[in-house]
Amino acid sequence: MNDSYKKLAKPYEIWLYILALFPSLIMLVLVFLDTEGINFTDASFTFGNFSQLTESSTIIAFGNSLKFALLSTVLSAILGYFVAYRLFRSKFKNKFLILTILILPMWSNILLRIEALGNVMQPNNIITDLLSKIGIHVAIDIKGSSLAVLIGLVFTYLPFMILPIYTALEKIEPSLEEASLDLGATQLKTFWKVIFPLSTKGIVTGSIMVFLPCLSGFAIPEILGSGNIVLIGNVIDQFFRNMNYNIGALLALFIMILILGAIFLVQKVDKEGETLL
Amino acid sequence: MEQKHYEVATLKEYGYKDYHILQTIFKIFGRILVAFIVMMLYFSIFIIFLQSINSSKSVTHFEHFTLKWYLEMFDNRQMRLAIQHTLIISASATLISTVLGTIIAVGINSLEKKKRQRILLLNNIPLLNADIVTGISLMLVFSCLLPIFPYLFGWKTLLIAHMFFTLPYVILSVLPKLREIDPNLLDAALDLGVKPRRALFKVIVPAVKAGIFSGALLAFTMSFDDFVVSYYTTGNGFDNLSIWIYGSIGRNSLTPAVYSFNTMITIITVLFLLTVHGFQTRRMKKNGKM
Repeated sequence: MNDSYKKLAKPYEIWLYILALFPSLIMLVLVFLDTEGINFTDASFTFGNFSQLTESSTIIAFGNSLKFALLSTVLSAILGYFVAYRLFRSKFKNKFLILTILILPMWSNILLRIEALGNVMQPNNIITDLLSKIGIHVAIDIKGSSLAVLIGLVFTYLPFMILPIYTALEKIEPSLEEASLDLGATQLKTFWKVIFPLSTKGIVTGSIMVFLPCLSGFAIPEILGSGNIVLIGNVIDQFFRNMNYNIGALLALFIMILILGAIFLVQKVDKEGETLL
Repeated sequence: MEQKHYEVATLKEYGYKDYHILQTIFKIFGRILVAFIVMMLYFSIFIIFLQSINSSKSVTHFEHFTLKWYLEMFDNRQMRLAIQHTLIISASATLISTVLGTIIAVGINSLEKKKRQRILLLNNIPLLNADIVTGISLMLVFSCLLPIFPYLFGWKTLLIAHMFFTLPYVILSVLPKLREIDPNLLDAALDLGVKPRRALFKVIVPAVKAGIFSGALLAFTMSFDDFVVSYYTTGNGFDNLSIWIYGSIGRNSLTPAVYSFNTMITIITVLFLLTVHGFQTRRMKKNGKM
């Protein structure tokens, strides 16, 4: 490529430094201060903010976050792999249509979708009402439970798992599979020894795409958990809303460190960001 | 002469195990599971649709079919404003990010490997960082600018924030297409005396059109639906639809008009995608590729 294009990336690098790296520095400073919002005029130096990390409410919220994020990642990895594999195996090779089917739900407002899901999780809802008109009486009451939050998380973020796995499966050379079958491996063995190892890249990317929003989200647990289930995102949101930027920044940095770890993992598996989209 | 009928050897006799029945069961089970999952993905949209044609405001019982919410879609002033804001912000953020993102991707693509990897690492931050951390980070930067620009918070911050998280999508969609371009193509253009800037628009951009298009689509999807980042970066009454919905859910005052708006958007999207798809297949047939 032509050298004169190199300078085109420079402004973006500066933009990223200002908007992506500089705020972490601000947060790092805020952690050691006791300020009123972002007003630095009568700031005082303190280590007191760190005691929040050992507070039981933080630990519970963080444990909840990890639990829900891990569970929904594992669940959506299993379900997502299955769907991606079936799509890959089907004669249905129209990638455009597959993408459309998976992306279309994302065009509806996520909060509305969650709210609608929450409505149906209550014992009296529009579905039970319609069913009772034709004489079927059912009632489910799971709103406010962990199960409700888990269902909400899995079915909101599942497309992010299916897409990278499907992309990874598509990229596998078909002759590899034929070779394996020709050489006498059974289909199951071919899957475990050839197909699955070659698709792990997609699973890793997909898992990160699901794990991260589940770990830090606060709208889904708030709506589906009816306030019973507090995740770390809700705690951070509370602190910032109450203008306690110092503790909020500390917890946000804590999450950010976890995420940086994940980003490095992605970089290791996928140096040029190929499967991310 | 009488034809002799030999028995066909089964797989078992060849020394293989016969997994035929197991495979069929697995296939049927797989189809059911896939259908169930796709249904679950669309379940909430179906509920929203049901709520949008319900004449009662209540979400717990269905009175009778009506289309009145579709007619009253823009009657609620707050909601109308929120929709306007959402459309303006996501359309302009998508447009700017698509143009700039394409140019930046060309720049990144021409960098040396080390530098390229560093910038792509930074580029992953807005993509992978928690929404809440991105939102708070941007809010902190904007707050630092407040003493210089006192009325910063509002559409300006919202636009910058949306550009911040849509640019990486465009860049990552365009980059792989750039790598597929034959480098001789650009060299030929330059040899023939085209200025690099002109070559960018005459040679490179047409070659990566598909990547630009999918990048723009992703950017718009992300921007249109964003809640968390917008929630932290907007100011004084410049709500987008998500923020308005979040507030209304909190106050328990959601009007069914918003369900009809959402359903309408879904229907428009489906129609739009089907048209695009129709054009694509027709063109492919014309070119004899199918």
